[in-house]
Parts: sequence; structure tokens; C-alpha cells
Amino acid sequence: MLENGKKRIEVGDGAAIPTKKDMGLFTAWRIAFFGAIALLGWLVYYIPDPYLTILKFVPDGIVVTFKVTVGAILLALVIGLIAGLGRVAHNPIINGIASLYVEVIRGIPLLVQIFYIYYALGRIVKVPDMLSAIIAMAICYGAYMGEVFRAGIQSIPKGQMEAALTLGMSRGQAMYHVIVPQAFKVVLPPVGNEFIALLKDSSLVSILAVADLLRRGREFASESFTYFETYTVIALIYLIITLFFSKLIGIMEERINAGR
Amino acid sequence: MKKLLRLLLPVLTLSLCLAATALAAPRTLTVATDATWPPMEMVDANKNIVGYDIDFLKAAAKEAGFNVVFKNTAWDGIFAGLDSGQYDAVISSVTITPERQKKYDFSLPYIDAGQILVVPKTDKAAKLADMKGKKVGAQIGTTGAFEVKKVAGLELKTYDEIGLAFEDMAAGRIQGVVCDEPTAIIYALQKKEYKEKFKIAGKAFTKEAYGICVKKGNKDVVALLNKGITAVKAKKIDQQLKKKWLK
Repeated sequence: MLENGKKRIEVGDGAAIPTKKDMGLFTAWRIAFFGAIALLGWLVYYIPDPYLTILKFVPDGIVVTFKVTVGAILLALVIGLIAGLGRVAHNPIINGIASLYVEVIRGIPLLVQIFYIYYALGRIVKVPDMLSAIIAMAICYGAYMGEVFRAGIQSIPKGQMEAALTLGMSRGQAMYHVIVPQAFKVVLPPVGNEFIALLKDSSLVSILAVADLLRRGREFASESFTYFETYTVIALIYLIITLFFSKLIGIMEERINAGR
Repeated sequence: MKKLLRLLLPVLTLSLCLAATALAAPRTLTVATDATWPPMEMVDANKNIVGYDIDFLKAAAKEAGFNVVFKNTAWDGIFAGLDSGQYDAVISSVTITPERQKKYDFSLPYIDAGQILVVPKTDKAAKLADMKGKKVGAQIGTTGAFEVKKVAGLELKTYDEIGLAFEDMAAGRIQGVVCDEPTAIIYALQKKEYKEKFKIAGKAFTKEAYGICVKKGNKDVVALLNKGITAVKAKKIDQQLKKKWLK
């Protein structure tokens, strides 16, 4: 104890880093999330024209943004897992293909990829617009996810694999039963990060005439000339959705870490 | 005091010089255009902005004695840029509509046009109402898009550039495109990738006049533009330009 009655912070007390619970009601997340909802509500209530009109115009855009994001994330997780496993594989051909995919896709801007898959490949195979938007997003984010998964798998100590092999498991079994479940915990925060990034980048598909949230907003603004008001509403809606998802990922992380 | 004067004197003389040159030199107008709308405004192989609108405004500027600098701007938001003062005027096949007149000032109309429907050759539709249940594309924020929206039962898809809409129709994702007649002619009858595939359905179904758009209350720019437009029309320069660009 110090003279003024305060406890000296000792190493190992864990008090030097404030935990989320210390901040009580006023976490950054709460301030941002409820602040954004309150601001939107206030605007719509007190200045209904044009804010209310905009809010009535965009809901189908929110649904499309949702569909594209969720569809792309599910597909990207599958592609990413395959690419990640391919990157740690000992087979040179599988490893080579996975590495080539990651290096090539990571090196091309997402907007270019979206244009390419939609317009260039659209001449050869006729894919509906929403599906091709989802595929373009998934292929791009699959590469990033692949790297996240590779890092997760490589973070598991070698001994785990050796132990599993000693127990008589095959390499595949060891991956499935021992390595991947452990890696899952490690990769959850960066995957959540990719998820939020993908949600925001889904606004890029508005270039494909997919009527997502941003395009609905642009349609409204270009017709009514209310640029400031429209983009304020659009920004707030994107913020609310991303914060909602970041909370969801936070809850998942807590659940998984509770077992530790 | 002397020190202050010595400090201020160069600044004063400089600003006076600038003011004098500004008075003497002809006024330069920065004009925005979305150069993705052939043959009215487009970018040629040498990266120059060319087209009917461009030639017309250049001729008008010569007649009224001002300079023009063109700025290639995306159509979506072209009016927002005018609001925030990034340029003095917009010449980009802008139809004079009552809604736009409420927010902006327009010059005298300089050419007439109309909206027209382009469909694949296999399609039997002759007007927009025949397209019920189908997807029709148009450029975002254009009168073409507004016209499609007015017709019940068809799905409007809006594109950033009109060329992308035609590309999407070539890929079979939409069944019609609505745009200005001169532009439709280029994409349906002259572009070699599309000549075999598309046709113009029926006749133009709107009567529209293009004007040069300026910020509300910018009277001196409107006066300058009108002087040029009147002179160009009086000298029949616009007829020559029509022969050059619109066949």
C-alpha cells in the first residue's frame, strides 16, 4: 500500500489495462451505436422532410446490402478455409495453387475485380447481378481470409500435431479434430474484422447497378438534389449495421473465450 | 506605421495587378460535363473531351467573348459539384425540367432531344409499356431513369454510365435501355459490337430541351451564356454542328 491509501499496481494484478466492464454504461460501442440511432431518430422526427422520405426510400437497399454481405462472407469463409489449408499443405501443387490464388487476388483492387467478373465474364457466362456481386466479393475476401486462417493454423504449436499423429490420427484427422478447432479461437477476431470490412466494401457493388443501400441513396439524391441529407442518412445506417455486427462478433468471442 | 506600410505595399500592388488582369482578360468559365454520353459529350482516342455540346459551347464562348475550361465529372453528383462551387456551369445533355429549374438556373435551350427505348433485336416491344415485368436500364439521375420509373410494372436498374447499361443488355441481364435519342443511335445503330444485337423500339416518347445549368442566382453567367447561344443560333453554327455530330 502507498501512503495515500491507493494500492500499488503490481504486475499480474491485471488492473493496468481497463477491462470493458470498468467503463460501465459508457463504452465506446454504446456511445457510437445508440448515438447514431438517436441522431437518426432525432433527424427523422424533427426534420421529417427530406430525412423521413429518404429513410422510407432505402429499406430494400439495406436488404440487398445484407444479402450480399452475408452471402459473400459465407462463401469467403469456405474459400478462405480451403486456401488457408492449401497454404499450409505439404503437397507442392496444392500449396502452389493456393499461394498463387492469394497473391494474385490480393494484388488486384476489389473494384477492378468486381468490374471484371461482372462485365468481362458476363460476356461468356450469364450470371445474375446479385450472384456475381456475391462471387466477386467472396473471391476477393477469400484471399484475405485464407491468410487469416493460415496464420491461425500456424499459431498452433507443432507439438499438437505431433501428439495427434502419435495417437494414431492421420494428418487430415489431426487437422479436423485438433488444429482447426484451436485455430478457430485465434482467428475469430481477425475474421470479424474482415467481416466488417466486407460489409463496408459491399457498397462497391453499387457500381454494378445492384440496388444496394448506397445505390438507393444515390438514386434518391440525384433525383431530389438532397446530397447532404441523403449521405448523412446513408452513413448513419452503415454505421448502425457495422456496429451491430461488431457487437455480435464480440459476443461470439466472449462465448468462446469463456471456456478458457 | 512605416514598417507596416512596407509590409503591406507589395501585397497591395500585387492584388491591384491581379485585379487589373482579371478585369482586362476575358472571363474563364469552368464547365463540368459527364463525357460518357456520345455523341453529345465523350472522350476521344486522344483523351480530349469532344462532342456536340462541347463544340457548341466553344462556339458560344467565341461569340460572347469568354473562355471555357471543361472538367470531366461523373453525372451522379454533377449538380452537387455545382452547388459547392467546383465549377460555374454544367453542359452535359441536361434536360430542362421543372424540378431542376426549382434548384438551378438554366440558359436558353440550345437543342431539342427526346428519350427513346433500345431493345435486343429479338424483342417485339415498341414502347415502354410493352416492357412490363422486364428489367430496363438507364443512367442514374437522368430523365430517362425518371421516365422508366413512371411506368408501373417494370424494374428500373440504374447505372453510373450509359455504356454499362448497354453492356449489361448485351450480357442479357436487362431487356431494355432508355436514353436520349442521339446516344441511342450511337449504341444501337453505329457501335459495331451492338449493331447486330440491338434496335431502336418505336419513336422518342418525350420532348425535351437541353440547357446549360448554373447555380441559382448566378445571373451574369446565364446572361453570358445566353448571349453566346443566341449568336450561335443566329449564325446557324448549330446547324453545321448538327450535321457534324448528329446524322
